[in-house]
Amino acid sequence: MLQIEQTNLLIQTTLTDKIFPEKDAKGYKSIDRIISDFDFTTYHISTLGEEKHLLLISIYLKCWDDLESYGVVKYLQDKYVQFEEALTILPSGDVENNYNYSFVLDLAKLEGQSDEYKQSVIDSLALLKRNCMAAPLEKAFARYDELAQQYANSNTYAEEIQAELQSEKVLVINYRGIDESIYIKPSFDRVTVIFSTIFQDETDKIFGKVFLQEFVDARKRSVQTAPQVLYSHKEPPLDIAHVVKSNNNTDADNKGYITFVLFPRHLVRGDKRENCITHIQVFRNYFHYHIKCSKAYMHSRMRFRVKEFLKILNRAKPENIDNDGSRIENRKTASGRRFAQ
Amino acid sequence: MSQSLKPYLTAVRSSLTAAICLEDFSSQIVERHNRPEIEVDNTHTPELILNPMIIARNENEKILIEPSINSVRVSIKIKQADEIEQILVHKFTRFLTSRAENFFILRRVPIKGYDISFLITNFHTEQMLKDKLVDFIIEFMEDVDKEISEMKLFLNARARVIAEAYLTPFD
Amino acid sequence: MASMGTPAVVMDNGTGLTKLGFAGNDSPSFVFPTAISTLSASSSKSSGNNAKSTGSFLSSKRGLEDLDFFIGNEALAAANGPNYNLSYPIRHGQIENWDHMERFWESSIFKYLRCEPEDHYFLLTEPPLNPPENRESVAEIMFESFNCAGLYIAVQAVLALAASWTSSKVSDRSLTGTVIDSGDGVTHVIPVAEGYVIGGAIKNIPLAGRDITLFIQSFLRDRGELDTSLQTAEKIKQQFCYVCPDIVKEFNKFDQYPQEKFAQYMVEYADKNRSKTVVDVGYERFLAPEIFFNPEICSSDFLTPLPTVVDQVIQASPIDVRKKLYKNIVLSGGSTMFKDFDRRLQRDLKTLVKERIELSERLSGGVKSSGVDVQVISHSRQRNAVWFGGSLLAQTSEFKSYSYTKQQYDEEGPNLVRNFSLFK
Repeated sequence: MLQIEQTNLLIQTTLTDKIFPEKDAKGYKSIDRIISDFDFTTYHISTLGEEKHLLLISIYLKCWDDLESYGVVKYLQDKYVQFEEALTILPSGDVENNYNYSFVLDLAKLEGQSDEYKQSVIDSLALLKRNCMAAPLEKAFARYDELAQQYANSNTYAEEIQAELQSEKVLVINYRGIDESIYIKPSFDRVTVIFSTIFQDETDKIFGKVFLQEFVDARKRSVQTAPQVLYSHKEPPLDIAHVVKSNNNTDADNKGYITFVLFPRHLVRGDKRENCITHIQVFRNYFHYHIKCSKAYMHSRMRFRVKEFLKILNRAKPENIDNDGSRIENRKTASGRRFAQ
Repeated sequence: MSQSLKPYLTAVRSSLTAAICLEDFSSQIVERHNRPEIEVDNTHTPELILNPMIIARNENEKILIEPSINSVRVSIKIKQADEIEQILVHKFTRFLTSRAENFFILRRVPIKGYDISFLITNFHTEQMLKDKLVDFIIEFMEDVDKEISEMKLFLNARARVIAEAYLTPFD
Repeated sequence: MASMGTPAVVMDNGTGLTKLGFAGNDSPSFVFPTAISTLSASSSKSSGNNAKSTGSFLSSKRGLEDLDFFIGNEALAAANGPNYNLSYPIRHGQIENWDHMERFWESSIFKYLRCEPEDHYFLLTEPPLNPPENRESVAEIMFESFNCAGLYIAVQAVLALAASWTSSKVSDRSLTGTVIDSGDGVTHVIPVAEGYVIGGAIKNIPLAGRDITLFIQSFLRDRGELDTSLQTAEKIKQQFCYVCPDIVKEFNKFDQYPQEKFAQYMVEYADKNRSKTVVDVGYERFLAPEIFFNPEICSSDFLTPLPTVVDQVIQASPIDVRKKLYKNIVLSGGSTMFKDFDRRLQRDLKTLVKERIELSERLSGGVKSSGVDVQVISHSRQRNAVWFGGSLLAQTSEFKSYSYTKQQYDEEGPNLVRNFSLFK
């Protein structure tokens, strides 16, 4: 697996089992299942008491409060309203305890719908986390649209305009708690997305540096159309220096900042923009996943090397001595004869 | 192979061959014990310890040979040019030492200032061929360097492919 | 739940099947074969020569061979193609191929469970008598490669005992009992005292799910049924088989009430154009599970019935735990799911024990025994008992304090995991 998909496989299979039941299954069965996703995301799918055709689907996100201030509720409303025949969005007062957002899916009402409709319900619910995280990005991109229009004909090198742009509000999402955040800053000709990340151990830190250096270089070398990537260690980039909360508890030494500069070509409305939103979200997961995969590969290399070394060392043992060093007597030839003593 | 590696390894080989001249020797302090003299405090019996020697190719690559009457300790410092090699060497030696029981002569903890240590006692030389033991150490030194640089190359290559694979779908 | 932080991940990697899921759920989220298919050596070589012909995206990129693999059902599917080799990294319950296992976990965690191991505690299982070196290697992988937040490794039999706590028959939550674990390949009888496996007394029976399926298949072939595939035999096993109290009487019942006893199984095909086939189901309904109690009807080299084996195992255990072992016999694994399996086992075992008590009473000249209580416990989570037991333990509040954290591992090294404290 090279890329990390945004679709949650487990939600997909759980809902598929529910929505396309096997032919001989009778009635609706009850379910109560916790499902997890990256970045401390937890889902809960359960049947509502005795009404087993009603599925309660809830999501918990660590950064919900941040998302809420960037209009995630509205965004999700727009996204899921198309399925309103079967899918009810619960008002914020009725959301399941300990979770941030809940749907009720009515399996009975879904039954009459076409297979394509059912499938698209499944697929879009499996992308629930992606859609939540998309809200602030969407908002920032919309702001970029505004700014682009506003400054279309002005001299953007003028000092006052530069200052105005500089003071543009930065969107902060503490998606993994205070140490790891996403910062988004729109401008008239670009949107800057900055990830801060923490390396848990020394190996990760060094591997991470090697990887990030290649991210920075990749654009120069081969993928010219990619977003520009910048990397800084310890020190936050200037754009966000004023919003980064200084937290003395964690050693800043293990912290890194990765900046993606998205250009207008990446922000073209439509599929391209959607794709960009989906893709940039998984950066941290993708990045840490590949650090881990390389460590796993190193392990298999080292296992091989250990085997080779052992082979060489075992050559030092004369053949008629076993592991404990005692002489092995009675060695036989292939035909069963013994050596003369 | 660079110019200086061959003489370095030749020097190590002949010094090791000379140093691994071990005999069964009972402890003079603890009755009915045979202990590797190089590993114990020898303030009372300095005559059992021979002069240690260091063979160095450069500052970062050297080997310490500490012979005694019934044991010899060999410590190797593996080349580490940068942070990446440092962490790789650290990982690799840790991986090896955690499997020390399979390696008979591997010491679980290296001597300070070195990355990996071997302890060869007279029991080892009684069961194993001395020349082949020397061969093992020489091959070990060669292969470790090779392995570390291959791992480093792999890491860079992997990082490149991963970065490109992530950045390409943006467009 | 959410306020407690992320749920722990419970992974039970068995010889045949892997069960993956999160603590707190009542069933594993994924159950698939512990299989991995990797690029075969020949095809990776040929892809070097003409990269375009192989068609696979990953193999066309140099240096990514170790990411190009599939696990579980996808592995079985991929192995049908030309480029992949299928292998099972676990043999007889123990991990044989660490390279493959590491990658199997890699995919389990990131692709299937979708979790960042840094954020989750893990509960893994191991077979009884697993060498401590294997534990260390597991810890090395989990902590060094994946940086998992915390790790607990539990013995499968102990988890199966914990799973039986859900049964109403269990009054006290003790970790003493005899576990009968029957999966696809082998059946184990494992005595456990106070959470520790009594290693010397463990016995294996080379009869399990696969043998029952093959036995059913042989019946179908003998009768010349229209469909004698392994899948059909498997389905019949799952849907129709049960354990009878007495074979002779059961044969009579079949003769007297054929309408009730004989059944028919409709084979449905994925290909809708093919008409359905009807397969008759006869005596194999009760004869197939009977191989546990009368192995001679199927096997020629293993002839000891299961109740006798259980009795031998308990007799081989220390005398002070034997009564408790008889009292708490726990079933685990898919092949113990047959209807009335527990009753038959309990009855046969009682007979054996009674005979022995009578003999000893006679020999001792009239001294009365206080009696031995034999109880076989069957419960609704039996199929994935090991996983379920893990899920139960991992959701308790003490779980995190029993696990070792990454920090502890970094300080003390792999031999940390040689000892885990037990759940009380």
